[in-house]
Amino acid sequence: MKFSTKLALAGVGIALLATVPWWGSAVLVQFGINALILATLAQSWNIIGGYTGYPSFGNSVFYGLGGYGVAIAMVQYGLPFPVGLAIGIGLAVGFAILLGLPVLRLRGHYFAIATLGLAEVMTAIVSNLEIAGRNVGLILPLVKGDVLFFELSLILLVVTTLAVMWISRSRFGFGLIAIRENEQAAAVMGVNTTLYKILAFALCSVFAAVAGGIHAYWITYLDPGSAFDVALNVKMIIMAVFGGPGTIFGPVLGAFVLSAISEILAAKVTSLASIFFGIVIVAAIVFMPRGFADLVRRFRHLGWRYFQENIRTYRV
Amino acid sequence: MKNLALACAAMMALLASRVSAAPIELGASVQLTGQFANTGRYYGDAYQFAVEKINAAGGVKVGNTREKLNLKILDNQSDVNLSVRQYVQLVTQDKVNFLLGPFASDFVLADSAIAEKYNVPMIQGGGASDQIFSRGYKYIFGTLPPASDYFDSTLDLMGQLKPPPATLALLYADDAFDVSVADGTRKDASKTKLKIVVDQRYSSKASDFNSILSLIKSQNVDAILVAGHETEVLNFIRQAKTLNVNPKLYSFTVGVPSADFRAALGQDANYAFGMSSWVPSAALKDEYFGNAEQFANEYKKRFGYEPDYHAASAVADVQAFVKAIESANSIDPVKVRDAIAKVDFDSLYGRVRFNSAGQINLPQTVVQVQKGKLVPIYGPKGMLEQPLYPMPEWSKR
Amino acid sequence: MQLLWQILVNGVLLGGLYALMALGLVLVWGVLNIVNLAHGALIMLGAYACYYLFTGLGWDPFAALPVAMVLLFCLGYVIQRYVLNLIIRAPMFNTLLITFGFEVVITYLAQIAFSADFRTINPSYAGANFSFLGATVPLVRLLAFAVALALTLGLWLFLEHTRIGRAIRATAQNLIAARLYGVNPRHLYALTFGIGAALAGAAGTLYGVVSQINPYIGSGLTAKSFAIAIIGGLDKSIYVLAGGLFLGIVEAVTALYIGPTYTDVVSFGILVLVLIVRPTGLLGRTA
Repeated sequence: MKFSTKLALAGVGIALLATVPWWGSAVLVQFGINALILATLAQSWNIIGGYTGYPSFGNSVFYGLGGYGVAIAMVQYGLPFPVGLAIGIGLAVGFAILLGLPVLRLRGHYFAIATLGLAEVMTAIVSNLEIAGRNVGLILPLVKGDVLFFELSLILLVVTTLAVMWISRSRFGFGLIAIRENEQAAAVMGVNTTLYKILAFALCSVFAAVAGGIHAYWITYLDPGSAFDVALNVKMIIMAVFGGPGTIFGPVLGAFVLSAISEILAAKVTSLASIFFGIVIVAAIVFMPRGFADLVRRFRHLGWRYFQENIRTYRV
Repeated sequence: MKNLALACAAMMALLASRVSAAPIELGASVQLTGQFANTGRYYGDAYQFAVEKINAAGGVKVGNTREKLNLKILDNQSDVNLSVRQYVQLVTQDKVNFLLGPFASDFVLADSAIAEKYNVPMIQGGGASDQIFSRGYKYIFGTLPPASDYFDSTLDLMGQLKPPPATLALLYADDAFDVSVADGTRKDASKTKLKIVVDQRYSSKASDFNSILSLIKSQNVDAILVAGHETEVLNFIRQAKTLNVNPKLYSFTVGVPSADFRAALGQDANYAFGMSSWVPSAALKDEYFGNAEQFANEYKKRFGYEPDYHAASAVADVQAFVKAIESANSIDPVKVRDAIAKVDFDSLYGRVRFNSAGQINLPQTVVQVQKGKLVPIYGPKGMLEQPLYPMPEWSKR
Repeated sequence: MQLLWQILVNGVLLGGLYALMALGLVLVWGVLNIVNLAHGALIMLGAYACYYLFTGLGWDPFAALPVAMVLLFCLGYVIQRYVLNLIIRAPMFNTLLITFGFEVVITYLAQIAFSADFRTINPSYAGANFSFLGATVPLVRLLAFAVALALTLGLWLFLEHTRIGRAIRATAQNLIAARLYGVNPRHLYALTFGIGAALAGAAGTLYGVVSQINPYIGSGLTAKSFAIAIIGGLDKSIYVLAGGLFLGIVEAVTALYIGPTYTDVVSFGILVLVLIVRPTGLLGRTA
């Protein structure tokens, strides 16, 4: 499919989505907000994980910091929501730069474990902070009317995707991909790998933080466990990987599809929903480790042998 | 502005769809699976039991007819975010008339926001933390007594023991409920002659109390009060035994009243104090179940395990709705909400009525495990049975 | 002073158990380069295996321990042979994700099979303790410590001095060369993962005696095991003893002097610090 066609389709899709709160049921709007936020998170992870090749488990930290920025600003200081968002973004970017510097020197799974450790540390630290309500959490003021949150989440997703689109065709993006493919070669070629990595980390922190802020305000309740939830981070990774890391629309697609299936299961056969993600991951990693986008592209040539090929490539 | 108009339109549509609907729909999102399932099940089963009994007795009288109650229970898998979404589904898609609550204060905190948002009354018997009722919400009611008062009757009892304990260790988990308990206990203890020598907050994920216990032992503390979850209390007692910590008395906010907790500890459960806002005594008369004792027996026969105050509290929630609907003579949410605020009736759970914030006020009865049995020791009217005090050392049992 | 001594004793005993918990993870990570996020779930299964042997057949938990290990070995072997082997040459990240998937599935199935109720393994001697230089030492903790030490040393001996052990190490270092020598990597990989699972099972048994079990303890134990593994160092499986003891003592001391809500801050803070400053761990050689 040509890129301009894709873009046109996306535009129509966005316009349609924007009207959902007016004709959709409240449950659909709820689902929509959730899916949009997850898609944003998957897309933000895409920047550091998909394009740069650094699998981060720390995006949930940015998400949590965004949420706490909003919560602390609104509850402890009575500041309005946009100010809270700004504070959340500030916290997240600060964290990304300060802790990104040492942590981004690590490679592969060491980086993953380090970010995992960071997520655990942040949970533990915040649950001891008086201003954050310690482990009890904070309760935000109630806002009636989900339309606001829906549109905000949609705008956020669009902005994040535009950012990824820009990355994919910019020098910055090529630098990131070079780092992913062969970091040492990239450095030799003159790419300032440290700077690029930090920038990527900071960029994804911005979007994750805003997502966290919106979510906190919407749910009206925030505590360290749900804010820095590692399972959420894994979910966003799975959605990005399932959809296609390193592509523009892959993570969005992955997020929507997986959310939809999960939600349907949760409503109809609640007990299956929890095991669903587990089975999907295992199956997806074995049969389509390069994601949905890759599946769509190569299925046409290979047909069902696509799955067999994947296994053959990676088995011992 | 558009949001407000939209909300109004939705409300009117909801109301219109409800006025002529029968039977009366109740909805709840409960922890049937997941980490909190072992307490969550009390609510799911009790709600169902209550609805069955009420329907068997003819249902709810509204206007000139008697309507049956319909119950829809969803499993939130012990995930707060999912429970919030499920409550929205119950209100907007399943179009329930009224909401019953989940277990645990942090769930209630988040879910009650939905009740308030959509103006649908919710009565819950699972959350006692002060925060739930200090937000000025109008649509949330609770049948668990305030967390900050939990240890009051225990402190009273301690003042009457001979010789009275002089030093106190206060341990509490760092979640909403237990922090409320600790804050209240600290305040009330300061009015007695007890000296708090250990005041420790611990993480809800902790299972290792060795350090705290070693500290308590080195200070020779007389009495220990623990506000936490069943799993932590279980660990605490076991580790107290292995580290040979021998206070004169220890009391816990949860665990002691429930049968499988005592079974898990066996002999080690003896001498432990606990509290319950409910004992299955024949003195608590009920319109639908006869009395609390009969309820407990039937419940055990039906579900295979003994009910405790969680289950009784859940039954009270359903009955409160019935009384309110009958008193308001309507299923209009606003009218019923106002009626709930005014209910005052006796049930197998005790006297049900809500204060201005929406919370019930029931005294806690101090109980103790004596020779494997749960014995009520000290109630609002004073000493019921002799407590076994001080607790003999582990090696001497 | 007396109190500090007791705290240190607590920490050391806890540390032994910690080391055993992380041992299986370290083995699988070091040899197969698989970061097993389901490790805690395997520990949980081991605990339940022991629980049912204890309550159902009346076996003493320490007698049930080898049986639990065998059961977990079989499970681990099957998982590796028929699923993980299929993706083992994929980017390492994929194994992270797939083991996460296993964690979800195992936890869910455990909850259906065993119910969410918490269980304890309470042998008659569970409360026994004795005094050692003024500190109270709980008997079961000491036994757990001894078993943990024995298994750790046993594993080290196995890897260094038996044919299979050497074959495992050889395959880890150079797959092609090992193949040339007639090693069947599929079987060997499965064997390794099976041993890792068996060790997790042993840790689970001891954990069940010392604490209580429910289907959800897995993820917390996995996180802890990571911290222990990294802090000790992944080069040799015996380094995990250092990691376990270090963390056990640090946690006990932190709980006393800073506060029990800070133990996670310290544990994971040290994990991150070690990764940043000395990724090979306290004992590992700087690469």
